Amino acid sequence: MCSNNPYIPMPVEIIKIIDEVDTHDIKSFRLKFLNKEDEAKFKYLPGQFSELSIYGKGESPIGIASSPTEPGYVEFTVQRAGAIQPGLVTAALHDMDEGAKIGLRGPLGNSWPIEFLEKKNIVVVGGGFAFTTLRSLINYMLYSDNRSRFGEITVIYGARTSGLLLYKDELAAWEKRDDIKTIITVDKGDETWKGREGFVPAVCKDIAPSPKNAVVVICGPPIMIKFTLPVFFELGFSKENILTSLEMRMKCGIGKCGRCNVGYKYVCSDGPVFSLAELDELPRDF
Amino acid sequence: MKKTAIQKISDLAAELLEKGTLVAPIKEDAGFNFREISDAKQVDLNFYNTLMSPKSAFFPQTEDFVRYNKNKSVLEAQCVDMNLGPVFLFGVRPCDVKSFEIMDIHFSGTGAVDPYWKKRREATTIFGYAFDPNAPADGADFYSTLGIGAADPEGSDIFMIKKGDDLLFKAVTPKGENLLASLSSLADASKDEIKYFDETVVSGRSFKTRFTCVDTKVIAKKLEDIFHKTEFWDKVSEACLSCGVCTFVCPTCYCFDICDETLFSQGVRRRVWDACMFTDFTLEASGHNPRTKVYQRLRQKICHKYSFHIRKYGVISCVGCGRCTRNCPVNIDIFSIVDEALKE
Amino acid sequence: MSINFKKIEDSLKAEAKKLLEEGKVSIVLAYKKGYDDKHPMPYVARKISDVENIVFNEYCTANMARYLVRYPRGTKIAIAVKASDSRAVIQLIQEDKVKREDLIVLGIPVYGMKNFKTGKTIDSKTTCGIYNPVLYDVLLGEEVHGQPVVPPYGVLIEYEKIDKDARWAFWEKEFDRCIRCYACRKACPMCYCDPCFIDQNKPKWGEKSPESHGNLMYHLTRFHHLAGRCIDCGECSRACPVDIPLYLFHKKVAKECEEMFGQAAGMSIEDKPVLVNFRVDDSDKILE
Repeated sequence: MCSNNPYIPMPVEIIKIIDEVDTHDIKSFRLKFLNKEDEAKFKYLPGQFSELSIYGKGESPIGIASSPTEPGYVEFTVQRAGAIQPGLVTAALHDMDEGAKIGLRGPLGNSWPIEFLEKKNIVVVGGGFAFTTLRSLINYMLYSDNRSRFGEITVIYGARTSGLLLYKDELAAWEKRDDIKTIITVDKGDETWKGREGFVPAVCKDIAPSPKNAVVVICGPPIMIKFTLPVFFELGFSKENILTSLEMRMKCGIGKCGRCNVGYKYVCSDGPVFSLAELDELPRDF
Repeated sequence: MKKTAIQKISDLAAELLEKGTLVAPIKEDAGFNFREISDAKQVDLNFYNTLMSPKSAFFPQTEDFVRYNKNKSVLEAQCVDMNLGPVFLFGVRPCDVKSFEIMDIHFSGTGAVDPYWKKRREATTIFGYAFDPNAPADGADFYSTLGIGAADPEGSDIFMIKKGDDLLFKAVTPKGENLLASLSSLADASKDEIKYFDETVVSGRSFKTRFTCVDTKVIAKKLEDIFHKTEFWDKVSEACLSCGVCTFVCPTCYCFDICDETLFSQGVRRRVWDACMFTDFTLEASGHNPRTKVYQRLRQKICHKYSFHIRKYGVISCVGCGRCTRNCPVNIDIFSIVDEALKE
Repeated sequence: MSINFKKIEDSLKAEAKKLLEEGKVSIVLAYKKGYDDKHPMPYVARKISDVENIVFNEYCTANMARYLVRYPRGTKIAIAVKASDSRAVIQLIQEDKVKREDLIVLGIPVYGMKNFKTGKTIDSKTTCGIYNPVLYDVLLGEEVHGQPVVPPYGVLIEYEKIDKDARWAFWEKEFDRCIRCYACRKACPMCYCDPCFIDQNKPKWGEKSPESHGNLMYHLTRFHHLAGRCIDCGECSRACPVDIPLYLFHKKVAKECEEMFGQAAGMSIEDKPVLVNFRVDDSDKILE
């Protein structure tokens, strides 16, 4: 029953833990497969997710933060959940050390549509913690073998404070490159912050990317999305050319348990990536 | 074609028990239910339809995936093997047989294949059972509206029709043919009986339950159109308790949860039936819940079964067995909500 | 004296019409016809044209009090209640879930109600055994007199003769059949907690799967949460699709609480909820 069973997780080891933010509740976990066959079969594209499994606690669907161009491991950036009820899985994960072994099911879901994005200018817009699969996409596009397949890349990424920005080292590295335009902003900077201040919607308005042959890929908290989308509509972007990734409560991750549907689509298998045009067709039930 | 006296059904049951596991209806306090039979005499065909649907033969309320020990390595977790021998599912009404086909599309016909559903289906031989031509419906069901006949043999491996005090058996699939040929407790049927069987199948198709037939595509589109009409959903959900009875008794409801259940250090990861009617079904870790109100959850139930499912899989997620209506603690007649929607 | 259900129905309709016309209430909680006459449904009348849909017959067993908490505080509601339903209303007022002045209670004195699943008459074996509503603004019929006064705990006499171990075995067997559909919880007018304890995962009080130990945890805890609050309407027993005799539980819990504290649930709006209120002369039996 174990082989080819989409409900059974593959064993992985945590080979590196990176503390991403100054509140210490977001960490990146680099995972290595313990079975060679699992590693060989795990082929993914940016935008996909996996179910991280801890026996005795449960599973958590987390977007893949590494790019498939980074061999030898898969990386996930996980927030310790606990707004209303403490999250069982993420809390347990955060309490683990390097060397701990957990389970993983994936890759799941659809990906950022690479073919659709080719030869176009890509505007990547992210807010706060929602930057994980966007980072996967950016690294994928920046990879030497891939870069020429895409047009101009513009990244607009904001967080509440500078301490809450993810992947700080990588952001700094991108800022130094000339094949990607990187705009980082914070809502409110402290004394050490030398960069831009301002909310993401306002910064997008400022930068005003051209809609000509361009696609927006946007992920962020609902409030950011609410105010940023009108900016892009005004700039002339059509709904087919604005892509986002939805989050819903998930369990099976393979479109069987019926929990994550929006209309007739299951976010885990028909998504989580959708264009705004596709979302318009679906009932507002999320 | 074969036959036996209904009085002697326990002989057949005993024979099946020797060949494998027999799951058949037995009488319990609350009604008839499909159970694994240990005593051939327990099998009782004196029922209209069972309380719980036979979906639990392929999709049991709990299905164990992995056994683990919290204090041991993840590598030591044991995948649970199903260890299935042949299973005989005996006495399934045509509407319930149809439900298996609908669930096949979801569990093994689209996207990832659910190995548990698939294996159980493959291991099982189905004895379908026509509705009694003298009493083919009660007040709650409406299977003919969904194109299901009172004596439809399709989907069964062997199909049974009652004739007076006898039961007639006809093989529908090669699997059924092989089994039927091997059963010694059955006698051969006469030419008259064969004729009666075929006639009953035909007349079963013209039997009409309540509600008029509507094209499922029309239903799907209408519900999609009125999804955001809150006053309609408020009105039809005013009596709904938002419990889970309709979901649990329904043969085509498939929502489940995956739970890690641990006692001290030993535990099992298993799937367990869940219901979109439950308040916390869509509760997210952030605390956000898209469906906090009863009308939102009832809307999801109706729209999923009668609209989204049709859009996604091409078939309606309902077989008109009437269990939802019959068992609803406040007598909500679920299909009548669809009827009302069509009038909006 | 036999009950004239048609007369009660007419009075209910007349009263509902009057209250809606005069704008005294925005909704009337009553009953309407279901898929046939023997399966009525709970109904919310909002407009005068809705009133003609209202019915009342011996199958109108639903306790409409459970719907009160669904409406925003301050909504003016008229509610049709039988005896035990009126006790639920009183208990909800005691617990401040609804205000007395926002309700117009239409009391229905009745006996001979029938279980629509079985057709059997409902008596004090599975319900509180009172005939006349304890609280009402309008009485929609004549007070019932001359009917046998049956103690609500009569059915416990046989049950209490069974020794503790046998009783535990009995409940283990009964709860083996529970499918955790939560119809009992949702049918109960006093189960309004959100989230319910069984839905929480930290701490996890009971597992989700319908196995004996989780089922026992759920039911035993639920009835403890109902101690001093359960008004013995029997809706949970009737809602259960597998016929678990929950009435033995709710009557036992109600009896113990009444004996210990000398107060039955939902009998007077002046009362304070039993387990919330501290009186110096309270029994110490609970500490034994």
